[in-house]
Amino acid sequence: MSTPWLIALAVAKVLPKKATPLIFAALGGVISENGGIVNIALEGIMAGGAFAAVVTSYRTHDVVLAIFVAVLTGMALAAVLAYFALAQSADQIVVGMAINILTLGMTAYLVSTVFGQPGASPEVPGLRNEAVLTWVALALVVVVHVILYRTRIGIHLRAVGEEPRAAATAGINVVAYRYAATIAGGALAALGGAYLSVGETHIYSDGMVAGRGFIALAAVIFGKWTPFGAAGACAFFALFSSLQIVLQGGAVPAQFLEMLPYLLTIVAIAGFIGRARPPASDGVPYER
Amino acid sequence: MRRLFILAAAAALFAGCSSGGSGSTAASGTNATGTNSPIKLAMVTDVGGLGDKSFNDSANRGLQWAKTQLGAQVTVLQSRSVTDYEPNLSTLADQGNDLIFAIGFLMHDSLNDVAPRYPATHFAIIDSDVDQPNVTSITFREEESSFLAGVIAGLTTKKNVVAFLGGIESPLIEKFQAGFAAGVESVNPHATMLVKYTGSFDDVASGKEYTSVLFDQGADIVYAAAGKCGLGAIDEAQSRPAGYYVIGVDSDQDGIAPGKVLTSALKHVDHAVLALAADASRSDFPRGNLVFGLKEGGVGLTEMKYTRRYLPAGALATEKAYEKLIVAGKLVVPSTLVQLKAFVPVHLAATK
Repeated sequence: MSTPWLIALAVAKVLPKKATPLIFAALGGVISENGGIVNIALEGIMAGGAFAAVVTSYRTHDVVLAIFVAVLTGMALAAVLAYFALAQSADQIVVGMAINILTLGMTAYLVSTVFGQPGASPEVPGLRNEAVLTWVALALVVVVHVILYRTRIGIHLRAVGEEPRAAATAGINVVAYRYAATIAGGALAALGGAYLSVGETHIYSDGMVAGRGFIALAAVIFGKWTPFGAAGACAFFALFSSLQIVLQGGAVPAQFLEMLPYLLTIVAIAGFIGRARPPASDGVPYER
Repeated sequence: MRRLFILAAAAALFAGCSSGGSGSTAASGTNATGTNSPIKLAMVTDVGGLGDKSFNDSANRGLQWAKTQLGAQVTVLQSRSVTDYEPNLSTLADQGNDLIFAIGFLMHDSLNDVAPRYPATHFAIIDSDVDQPNVTSITFREEESSFLAGVIAGLTTKKNVVAFLGGIESPLIEKFQAGFAAGVESVNPHATMLVKYTGSFDDVASGKEYTSVLFDQGADIVYAAAGKCGLGAIDEAQSRPAGYYVIGVDSDQDGIAPGKVLTSALKHVDHAVLALAADASRSDFPRGNLVFGLKEGGVGLTEMKYTRRYLPAGALATEKAYEKLIVAGKLVVPSTLVQLKAFVPVHLAATK
């Protein structure tokens, strides 16, 4: 415990567990925001995914199916956001917040009806080694990067996020791209939720997402809306929360370490570390 | 705050089923002013509701005991959201109940508002202190059961390192920490104690990660007084080989992972409810703050039916001996970290 090596070793063990759910959710945020839809419902979508995975595993004892159902649930919730944002031109922040409240309230209610006990599910079958999902998350960082910057689809999506009218003039179906990006983002965020439930702890418990969706949103901004940037920001946040777990109780004021990454996020948003510029039409309803 | 917001939203969603009385009111008697009519007891659950296998269920058990043992009339109203507290409390007061229990500190503000409007009705609140002339406040000496948990942990640890994992730093959780540390110190002067706080009561994954780090840092027993983070702690113990344990809190968590939960520090809300109901049935409403410790049967440890065989010889006898000392008032368990500093470990051989 006293030597730096032991600390590094302990941190290395916790860091992937802290980073993985954040990376999934942040990638979801990167995709949808590059298409111009701000998804502040990441928190609620993670909770929905975590819950759906546990219910499926509870009923079927099939963990792969559980993760699949979680992804579908995330897509459905994101589709609700996309519908109100696109078909109704609603304020995306308001809809996102509504989905957060709806999901957190719904899961709390459904826990008691499905499991017959409020608060938390019983233990369900889960992944034997959740590290598999960490590798999936890292692979997805590369995949999302390649799609965004090396494919025609990615160029179109970014055009839709920057200048939707110009993109439409060029023959790109803006609405279809925004739907697809938001729904894909929901799938990724739900994977982050499934990691927490059937991956790491094998239960669902109210409030278990515990703000990770909002931290992922901060990582999207800190990472300047790029997959590698956002994943790097997640790793950075995870590093500090791991350090705080390992060092707490010792001489270092651990709460300060926990605070540091968020302080830096504020600094980043304020524009002190380079310029944090979102896609030009991020969050702006598209009207033909 | 966020939680309250969510609960309020959930309430709006399910307004249809809110404050649905799952009442079990018996034959309608006349108002309980006559000396022969049965006493009318009622309780309002907090948002956890019946079926939580913890707090609310325990209170309800106490109420049902009062029904069979004292012949009381009982009514239970469940709260689906924090906005139900006030109407539920008022409704029960309007119905002419003699004693109304508010279960949980979440109801503190609501009861503080309702009680003055019904000066002739008696109220009681669990785990909080409401300063009104017609309210009895019931709190527990969690430090005493934590002390006994510390005795068991101090005697059982093979690595001579035990750990305390708290939720959010607060005076309530400090009671658990201080009592546990004092218990460990008393039986095992060689043991060191690691202390960490998760900063949350519901981040299960974080509870698991903290516990993993505590085990890696040398502890073989983790006392988790961290709400649902404790479920993560128990999960971590399950993924470890034999010899790693978690100690649970509030309700009997031994059965969640048999053999991995060394014991649980219990809080007997049921006993407290029955005791107060018995007083009330004699029209003797205790005022102020009632404190339930080991002596009053308000706190204690589980039977350890899954883990008995892992305990060193004599551990249970030692634990019982300390329990006697505390009950007799010969050992005062520290309930704050300041008191813990001043605490002189009581070695049993010396006190014998």
